[in-house]
This record gives sequence, C-alpha cells and structure tokens, in this order.
Amino acid sequence: MSEAAVAHGHDEHHQGGFVSTYLFSMDHKMIGKQFLLMSLFMMIIGGLLALMVRWQLAYPEQPVPGLGWVPEPYLYEGIIPPETYNMLFTMHATIMIFFVVIPILVGAFGNFLIPLMIGTRDMAFPVLNMLSFWIAAFAGVLMISSFFVEGGAAAGGWTAYAPLSAAEVYTGVGLGQDLWIVSLVVLGISSMMGSINYITTVINMRAPGMTMFRMPLVIWSLFITATLLLLALPELTAAMAMLLFDRRFGTSFFLPETGGEPILWQHLFWFFGHPEVYILILPAMGVASEILAVFARKPIFGYRAMAVAMIAIAFLGWVVWGHHMFQSGMNPTMGMAFMTTTMVIAVPSAIKTFNWLGTLWGGSITFQTPMLHALAFVSMFVIGGLSGIYMAATPVDIFIHDTYFIVGHIHYVVFGGSVFAIFGAVSYWFPKMYGRMMNEALGKIHFFGTLVFFNLTFFPMHIIGVGGHMRRIYNPLQYEFLQPLQHWNEIMTIGAIGLGLFQIVFAVNFFWSMFAGAKAPQNPWNANTLEWEAPTPPPHGNFIEIPTVYRGPYEYSVPGMKEDWLPQAQPGTGVGVAH
Amino acid sequence: MSRATNTAAVHDLPREEPLRALHVVPRKGGRGGPPSRSLKVSNARVAVAMLLVAETMFFAGLIGAYLVFRVGSVAWPPPGLPALPLGVTWVNTVLLAISGVTMFAALRGIRRGDEAVLRRGLLWTALLGGVFVVVQGSEWVGLVRHGLQLSSGPYGGTFYTLIGMHAAHVVGAMGWVFFVFAMARRRAYTAKAHDAVEACAIYWWYVCVLWAALFALVYH
Amino acid sequence: MLPWLPENISTYGGEIDSLFMLIFWITTIVFVAVQGALIWFLFKYRAQPGRRATYSHGNNTLEIAWTIAPSIILVVLALLSRATWDEIKAEIPPHDVTVRVYAKQFNWDFIYPGPDGAFDTADDKTIENELTVPVNKVVKLEMLSRDVIHSLFVPVLRFKQDTMPGRQIDGWFEATKTGEYEIPCAELCGFGHSGMLGHLKVLSDQDYATWVGEQWSN
Ligand code: HEM
Ligand SMILES: [Cu+2]
Ligand SMILES: [Cu+2]
Repeated sequence: MSEAAVAHGHDEHHQGGFVSTYLFSMDHKMIGKQFLLMSLFMMIIGGLLALMVRWQLAYPEQPVPGLGWVPEPYLYEGIIPPETYNMLFTMHATIMIFFVVIPILVGAFGNFLIPLMIGTRDMAFPVLNMLSFWIAAFAGVLMISSFFVEGGAAAGGWTAYAPLSAAEVYTGVGLGQDLWIVSLVVLGISSMMGSINYITTVINMRAPGMTMFRMPLVIWSLFITATLLLLALPELTAAMAMLLFDRRFGTSFFLPETGGEPILWQHLFWFFGHPEVYILILPAMGVASEILAVFARKPIFGYRAMAVAMIAIAFLGWVVWGHHMFQSGMNPTMGMAFMTTTMVIAVPSAIKTFNWLGTLWGGSITFQTPMLHALAFVSMFVIGGLSGIYMAATPVDIFIHDTYFIVGHIHYVVFGGSVFAIFGAVSYWFPKMYGRMMNEALGKIHFFGTLVFFNLTFFPMHIIGVGGHMRRIYNPLQYEFLQPLQHWNEIMTIGAIGLGLFQIVFAVNFFWSMFAGAKAPQNPWNANTLEWEAPTPPPHGNFIEIPTVYRGPYEYSVPGMKEDWLPQAQPGTGVGVAH
Repeated sequence: MSRATNTAAVHDLPREEPLRALHVVPRKGGRGGPPSRSLKVSNARVAVAMLLVAETMFFAGLIGAYLVFRVGSVAWPPPGLPALPLGVTWVNTVLLAISGVTMFAALRGIRRGDEAVLRRGLLWTALLGGVFVVVQGSEWVGLVRHGLQLSSGPYGGTFYTLIGMHAAHVVGAMGWVFFVFAMARRRAYTAKAHDAVEACAIYWWYVCVLWAALFALVYH
Repeated sequence: MLPWLPENISTYGGEIDSLFMLIFWITTIVFVAVQGALIWFLFKYRAQPGRRATYSHGNNTLEIAWTIAPSIILVVLALLSRATWDEIKAEIPPHDVTVRVYAKQFNWDFIYPGPDGAFDTADDKTIENELTVPVNKVVKLEMLSRDVIHSLFVPVLRFKQDTMPGRQIDGWFEATKTGEYEIPCAELCGFGHSGMLGHLKVLSDQDYATWVGEQWSN
C-alpha cells in the first residue's frame, strides 16, 4: 500500500478520472475535504432544527414562519406539536455531535493534517480511509432518513434514556429510533476504521526526526482522540445493540417489567459519553494551540505540560461518567466518588487554559481571522469549564441538573469551544486545503457576529437554568414559575436567529474563496510545522521530498535569528541563516 | 547574533540531535519515502492490535451488562429456565482450540514459504470454525425447545446476545480466513511477505481466546 | 443571592444556595482574572514594529503553581459539598409523614397511607398531582415510576430526584413556609413531558389536620 503511495508521489500529470479523484479518492486530503463538506452540510440541517426549537421556546405554539407547507403530523399549519418538538432537539444534538463536530475535527482535520504534519505521503491504509468516509456518509443518510419514516425520528433525547427509548409504546416512535441506533452503529464502524488508521499512521509513519515530543499539539490531540474513539465507540455499539434487541427481539436489558435495569443504560451510555465529550474538545484544544503559537509568534508555553494534560484528560475521562447521574438514585457514596474524580479532571483543563495565556504573554500578536477564533475558543472554553464546577458540586447539581444551566454548559464547551476552533481551523488551513486565502474582511464580520450572537444566545441559559427552567420542555408557559423568565427565551431566540444569519457570511466566504480567493503562498502564516513545507495545494503524495525534522514545532522568535520562525524541517540552528 | 543568544537558542531546543535519536534513517540521496523499512512493528500488526482493542471494548460492554444481571440476581439460572449444556460445549471448545493450532500451522507454513501447508491449515481452521458454529446452532435449537428464548428475561437475553455476538465474530473471522485462502491460491504470499496472513491469524486466535473467556464466564 | 434563584423554603435549601453562591464568587473571580488577563495580554502584546516576541518555552514553577492552586480550590469544594450531599441523600432523618409517589406518563400519583400509617391497605388514598404536607415537618417520599424515568423537581425545595421504574428511591424534605408551589417533571418522559405538573401544598399544622380530617372522614 505504501509502495503504491510512493509510486503516485509525484503524479500531477497522472490524474485519475472524476470518480477516483473526487468520489472514491484514497488521498487523505480529498477524504478530509469530503468529511468537511458533508459535515458543513449536516451543520446546516442541525442548525435549522435548533432554530425551530428556539422558535417554539420563545413563541410557544405559534406557527413557525415559512413552514406552513410542512405536512401533518410533523407540523400543523406551521405549529410544532410536542412529538415533533422532541424529535427536533433529539436530532439536533445527535447530528451536531456525531455528524458535525466529530467528523469535522476528527474526520476532516484528522485526515488532512496527520500525514501532512508528521511528514508522510498518506495514511497507513488509504483504502480503509476511503471506506471510512463512505460508511460515515451512509450513516448520515440513515440518520436523516429517519425523519421520513412512519412515526418520525428518534424523540428520546440524544442520551436515549431507557426505557423511554427501549419500547415503541412510550414515544410512538418506531422505525425512526431503530434507524437512529443503526446509524450510530454504522458510524461507530467508520470511526473505528478511522481511528485504527490514525493511530497506525502516527505510530509508524512519522518523518525522520519527528519524535513523539516533536509532534505539533494538534497531532497529539488527534492521536489521543483517536485512542478515545477506539475505546469508547465500541462500548457504545454494544449498548446500542442491546437497546435494539430490547426494541425488536424481546430481550430485556433495559425494560424493568421483564427484569431489565434502566439504569444500566445510563452507565453504559455515559461510560462512552464522557470520553465522548473530550473527543469533542481535545482536537479543538490542539487546533487552538497551533493557531495561538503562530499568531503570537511564540513557542507554545509548556509544550510538555500541554501534551501531558491531554493524556491525563484521556485517562481521567474514564472514571467520571457518574457525574451525569447524580440524580439517578445512585448510591450517594458513589456520588461522592464521582464528584471527586470530576473535580480532578477539571485541573488539566485549567492547566491548559493557563498555558494558553502563557503563550500569549510576551507575544507579538496579530489578529487575523484564525487567531480571533482561537482566542474566542479560549475565552468561551473558560466559561464552559467554570460552569462545569457548579454541576460537579453534587448538592448544587441537585438543583441545576436537567435545567438550562446544563444546556448552557454544553454549548459553551461544544459551540464556544469546538465550533470556534473549527472556524479557526478552517480559516487557518484553508490556504493549504484549497490553495487560496479566505477573505479577511468577511472572516472578521463572521467572527464578530458569531461571537456576539453566540453569547446572546447561550449566556442567558445559565440565568434561566438558575431560575429552574427545565431542559427539553415543550412549552415554558405551562409553568407559573417560569413566566417571569420568558423574556429571556425571546432574547435567546433572537440571538439564535442572528447567529444563524451570520453563518451565511461564513458559507459565502468559504465557497467564494474556494474559487475566487487570492492565491495562497506556500506558507502564508510563516508557520513552522511540516504541512507548510508541502506545495500549495499539496499534490497526491504531499511532499516533493519527505522532510527531515530537526526540532520541535514551536520555534518562533528564536533570539539571534533574522526571521521570527524556524521551520521544523530547516537544518542547522537557524541562527544566522536567512530563510 | 552574539554567542550568548546563540547558545540560549540551542539550549532550549530538544536535546537529541535528530538523526542520532532515531532508529529511522533517511534514505541516501534524499528522495525520501515512507520510513517503513526500519519499522519495528509493521502497520498491519499495529492495526490488528487496535482492532482487537476495539473488539475488547465491545465485548466489555456486553460482558459488563451480563455481570450486572448475574451478580444482581438471586438464582442463576432463574427458576424454570434450563441450565446451559456443559458437555457439548466442552467438546466445542476443544474444537475451537484445535482450530487455533491449525491456524498456527498455516502461519508456520508460510513463514517457511510452504504455500500448500498454508492453504491446508487455513481450510482446516475454517472447517473447524464452521463445525463450532453448527454445533452451537444445534445447542441453541435444543435450548429454545427447553424454553430458553431471547425474551426469557435477562438470563435468556444476555446468553443469546453475548454468545450470538461471539458466533457472529467466528463467522466473520471465517470469512477473513476464506479471503486469505483465496489470495493464497493466487499465490499472494511468500515467506517474506505475509502480513495479511499474520493479521488474520491474530484475529482468529483472539476469537478463540475470547471464546475461552466467555465459556468460563457464561457456562459456569 | 442571585435574583433568578427561586425562593427557598426547605431546611437544606439554604446550604445548597450558599454552596452555589460560594462557587459563584470563586468562578466569578477566576472568570474576571482570566478574561482580564486575556484582554490585557492582547492589548499589551499586540504586534508592534520593532518589538520581537519573548522566546520562552515555559516555566516549571508556574506550571506547578497553577496545577496546585486549582487543585486546592477544587478539593475544598469537594469537601464542602460532601456534608450537604450526605445530609440530603445519604440518610433519611426521622420523619413525620410518608408519601409514596408513583410517576407515570404524564402525571404524579401521590399515595397517602391514611390513618393506619401503612401502605397497601384499604385506607390508602391516591391523589393525582397534589402533594399536601404539613409545614416544618420532615416528609419522606418513596418514589417509583409506572413506566419510564421521570424526575420529581420542586424548585423551591431545591429537591430533585429521578424516579425509576422497577426500583424505589427514597427522598426527604422539610418545608419551612406554607403556600402552593409547582412540581414539574425534570426528566424527558415522552411527548407529554412538558406540562407534567403537580402542585405542592404546604399547610400549617392546623390546616393540615383539617385536610386530613376531610380526606379520611368516612
Ligand atoms: C472543565 C471541566 C468540566 C466539568 C467539571 C464538567 C462537568 C459536567 C457535569 C457534572 C455534567 C453533568 C451535569 C448534569 O447533567 O447535571 C456535565 C454535562 C455535560 N458536559 Fe461537562 N464538564 C466539563 C467540561 C466539559 C467539556 C470540555 C465538554 C465538551 C466538549 C463537556 C460537555 C458536556 C456535555 C455535552 C454535557 C451534557 C450531557 C447531557 O446531559 O446531555 N463538558 N459536565
Ligand atoms: Cu461528563
Ligand atoms: Cu417528564
């Protein structure tokens, strides 16, 4: 396989047809772009679902503007019925987590960056890589198709708590929930193939001189994430199989009438689920680290501490799952244990935050779009991390569990964290991906709009959560104690609409720049890492010549040098060498 | 560019000189290539190891559920439900163990470059695997007749799920063995290049060892 | 106290609220410090002609300091949480009234044991969606579910407990103020989850006695 990759190394003129170049490509870069486009498309769907949820919360049981045509029983002349409402938030979360954030960070950037940044020509198993994309795409089709079957899509929340999810009688959702399960199992297979590929590639195929502790942090983060995926998703697959058997084949894993244990589902789910949330954030942390160092023109502060903190998170992530179940009736002593581990796992996150600040300290900072997104990542992640402490404190969690406070937390870490990092990553690596620069003005408009409306949409969630506003309710006006909070719901919905509108700027910038952006130089940001040694855009096989690595990835502003960057692949000490 | 700053810069760089620190030596002439020549563990082996890790987590989930029910129940098997047949299953276990040995023979064959031994070993392995699955199937038929169903509470559900998932893996592994067999007939492997055979063998042994664990856990 | 926090009418609610406020102040200080430092750095270290970034790979003393400082804060929080958590969840104090709660799609059945004080006897009484209790008395709840998981949430009591089908979970509270309050369901339980709403009536001793008299008059 690797022989073939080498043979195809320098083959600009040796192009295959459309099908083998764009559809069933085995080039990691094309596969990465396929993941990116698929996920951005899914992001539109997930976003529209969210807007419908927000509409219902702000203006309960009023017709959604422009949706009068949607047939019953989905909508009734534009009015969202409760059954549909439950499908909306369930599918929103499922799509955003499994089909947007993971496939972009891991599928798109994992694929695009790993071979380029460790200095090799392709993944270890290009065929497996190609299959992993198409299997993921198939999973996506299954997930979307579940909207159109009898009974509609899954409506038991993305956590699919049994027995609600384990029998059709409880929700009225039949085939839709089954498709949800099967889709995630199929996706699990795809992600297993991807993880095996990434891990093998990172372990075995690094360029000469690229020791583990010379790898860029984003590669560390993707490597650790791949490990977590490899461990976590099969366990979820097992749980999903049991759930499907309960639904279709009469087993009773989770159905109490026949001896099952509903709480077993929660343990199985969160044993996967907590590592899963770190799967969502670790690559984002890696991305932010790259961008911060480059635009502060400084070595990353505490490189080893950063890598070790991620490894620590990966280990500790397995022993905190119970913090999602404090109110489930678990043994109170277990609750104490899980609270302690949860407090411990907050420490590496704090360490990372301080190191990012340390990286900025003494820097020479410029504020291009990628940097703005990376800075927003740090700032928003801090809020998400701090809100985590409230919930980790078990007595406080009694009150805020299952309220909008949790929803606020989720969105500060996953949108404020991961999605800002995604925007940063897209604008930072776009030149290498498509050979053109993104438009800086549009980038900034998109950034500031997103930052403002993001906070307008999600910060008040903490407030209404503290007010006791439950999550996943259809109509807050049914509760007297929530009436005084309703204006927040309207504010948040207006925020969400603004947030959605500003994403159009991103879409325009993305596609316009792809075809008409300014031609990108080979190394537009004067960065050190290996992907910038490759031609822009890199040909099949990536490098004209496999680079040799002489140093760590963050040698910026080395004293005595004329230039303020010192690429990993440049021989010598750099001092006195004009670049 | 004073001397002092120069040493400061070098001091903070990672200590090892790149080439000395590595077992990977770049090719002379610089027309680099994937440094696969000097790998300690082949890509195929790493990948299979990772696959086994994933499989282990899958079965860990199922076994975890099984243990929750078994430990939490008063009587196992619950009153009215049949115990599992030990005798036949012992025989079956031995069959599977033998298949592990025939797989080993096949691998040893190709290591010596003996393709005939490889093919024979693969066929025997698949055959024994097939017998294992058939015997298990007949055991299931008997159990169903005695009233043990998927729907017989957690006892029936965990049994059929866990053992059925393993059987599915045996069938999948047989498919892999047949694939390798077909490739072997096309003379795809040599004494030097047979990573694919090795990967398949490792997977087969894994399925055997997994069975031993399940047998000890579920049937006793 | 934050204005959005509902009023508290339970004996242990105050402890939860003060823990909440403690975390609020800690996180607020950290928030201001971190975001302040961020903004200050962005301003102070913005690229300026002629100035080069400091070449530094980090500082071990700092690493140790900012590992230990949050650890200490978090350990203290864990210790402080422990006492309150145990008080609320670990053991039910001696109680004056026991009510059994059966959650079902999409109502709360509150079952009172009646004068004999025992459940599953003829004088049990089931009242849908209305939980009536005396003020300043410890009330024990035996919570169950008939179908899926629900969660009994009384914001003013700072009380929340999932109800599980197939197992009984006990909880308790002591209300300190009479009045009528809402009992929403906090765990998604199907299309009627929203609006699954009961009411808590906290009565004075006298009113409670009257109510008991009315309910079990014959
Ligand atoms: C800094 C450390 C963090 C702490 C202490 C923390 C703590 C918690 C706790 C205790 C819960 C459960 C709350 C409840 O349901 O009552 C929770 C929920 C959640 N956390 Fe975190 N968290 C942290 C960081 C993160 C990160 C980095 C992510 C993801 C990128 C994340 C994503 C989530 C999600 C998605 C949920 C909600 C799951 C659901 O119920 O739907 N958290 N967190
Ligand atoms: Cu968690
Ligand atoms: Cu509910």
